[in-house]
Amino acid sequence: MKIERANILVVDDEFGMREGIRRLFEAQGHRVETAETGRLGIDKGVAEEFDIYFIDLRIGDIDGVEVLGAIKGKYPEAICVICTAYASIETAVETTRLGAYHYIAKPFAPEEIQLVFDRALERRWYILEARQLRLEQERRLLEIAQEKSRIRTIINSIADGIVVLNQDAEVVLFNPQYPRLLELKNELVIGRSIREVLPEHLQEMVTDIFNQKDNLQGIQQEFVIRPPAKLVVMANTTPIRDDQNRVLGFVSVLRDISELKQLELLKSQFVNMAAHELKAPLTAIQGYLEMVVDKSLGDEPVVYDGYLRRSLERSKTLITLINDLLNISRIQAGKVRREIERLDLSAQVKSVVDFFANEIEKSGLSAKLELCEGLMIDADREEMQRVLTNLISNAIKYNRPQGLVLVKTSREKGYARLVVQDTGIGMKPEEKERLFEEFFRAKNPHTRTITGTGLGLTLVKKIVDSYAGRIEAESVYEQGTTFTVLIPLAER
Amino acid sequence: MKKKIMMVDDDYDLLQIYIPVLEKAGFEVATANSAAEGLELFKTFLPDLVLVDMAMEHFDSGFVLCHRIKSLPEGAQTPVVILTAASHETGIRFSTQTAEERKWIQADEYLDKPVPARELLAFITERFFSTPDQAHH
Repeated sequence: MKIERANILVVDDEFGMREGIRRLFEAQGHRVETAETGRLGIDKGVAEEFDIYFIDLRIGDIDGVEVLGAIKGKYPEAICVICTAYASIETAVETTRLGAYHYIAKPFAPEEIQLVFDRALERRWYILEARQLRLEQERRLLEIAQEKSRIRTIINSIADGIVVLNQDAEVVLFNPQYPRLLELKNELVIGRSIREVLPEHLQEMVTDIFNQKDNLQGIQQEFVIRPPAKLVVMANTTPIRDDQNRVLGFVSVLRDISELKQLELLKSQFVNMAAHELKAPLTAIQGYLEMVVDKSLGDEPVVYDGYLRRSLERSKTLITLINDLLNISRIQAGKVRREIERLDLSAQVKSVVDFFANEIEKSGLSAKLELCEGLMIDADREEMQRVLTNLISNAIKYNRPQGLVLVKTSREKGYARLVVQDTGIGMKPEEKERLFEEFFRAKNPHTRTITGTGLGLTLVKKIVDSYAGRIEAESVYEQGTTFTVLIPLAER
Repeated sequence: MKKKIMMVDDDYDLLQIYIPVLEKAGFEVATANSAAEGLELFKTFLPDLVLVDMAMEHFDSGFVLCHRIKSLPEGAQTPVVILTAASHETGIRFSTQTAEERKWIQADEYLDKPVPARELLAFITERFFSTPDQAHH
């Protein structure tokens, strides 16, 4: 609590006075400047703020009162001690009224001026300290203001909607996303109850919170803003408590969960469709078996042969369907364990066509291969076989007697190109459109006895897509279909 | 003369199951695989009873076919039975219990799929062909 090195200015026309004061205080480690005229005193005293000014009241050129006025005018907090040989009550009163800190009568002993100086310096210290505090406070206020605006900016930038309510459901704070997500028609106003702004169907948002109020730990509410699931928001509200655990208000965070809801919807639609597709073959199988068990067509077992064969066929489809479903869900969950190896596409084609040789012959079809050598791709063998099996078995199933299954491979700008062509029943444009849809199966007089899951091509497309490949179909109804698949060639 | 039944279903196997049983019971049976085919067949076959699957090209194809048949002068009096699994899949129960329901959904009966062949036979015999007079034509 001390100023170690004070700056002192002595304004006095008496050399002895100036030097006396200088020597006294310089010896104590302070810095002392002097001015022998009033003019010089003003110049020096105004140019820089000294801690203590000693001003002689009677200087040659200018009155000391004038010097005092000039200095106090510039530095209102300057500590000025008036020195005068003719001390009188009037001058003392006059100078203190003008802002002098004290006055001292000449001549004075060093102890006298020391005493005045020490008190003046202490005063100065308080003044500087107060000034420092004031500056800090100002800086802190500025920081707080900046901090506030920073937090404001952050809150406004959050994608979720945020609202803070007090105990009376009055809006304390909100970001623009909040009213936007709720599609509020009326503006939110700080200090006004949120109830005034919420439409009827959102009132329970507040009611539910305030019903529980003190007991509320946190509440999650879901609101459909635009039905059916175009805009759905989840409000996550938690109480704000003070250190006594009293509820001061609530902060509610709104999140747009429309996409999640859409997914849920899609999922349930998928499950519905899957259930329907699983049920159809089972219904047929059950019907056939009932006929056999009930002996609906008499006791002769041979009558039922066709029905039993057909049951078997449909139960095979059922197994395939279930396998396809599992494969699709595995691909979608990203849980496919692939063993990527370098494969010769044409060799793969050949092995799959060989596998179907028997069936091709049985169906009265012929197969033709036009294969390009050395088409290497990096792929999982099993997945490529699944793609080829699906396409080739389709070309067989949807063909006609004496028809042709043509499989070609070729090279095309960094891709291996596979073409599977049949001379079968083809598709109508609207059927082709939906070809890769889950569970879609063309329904026309030609397809009625052909079994299938409606998932085969969905699966093929998912696999091809996952290799950054492409699949396309060309078809003419009652003439045939051509599938073209592009898979990136392996890099050397 | 044999009573005629028209059956419309897009599942080949279901037709295969019902046809022989109905034929064995002495009915003349004709089948169609879609609502559109069914409507054409109706006009030429002129059945005494129509059995139609609800969901074919569309989930409500059976309704639409039923409505179209009932709108034809020759079909206004023909009983139509809709077979549906919709009650399990959608949770919607169809019924023709009230006059309002009958007015909207002109089907004469609903049957929940799957219906075993012998049950279907027993049901339609009892409901539509128990006495010769009740049959149409």
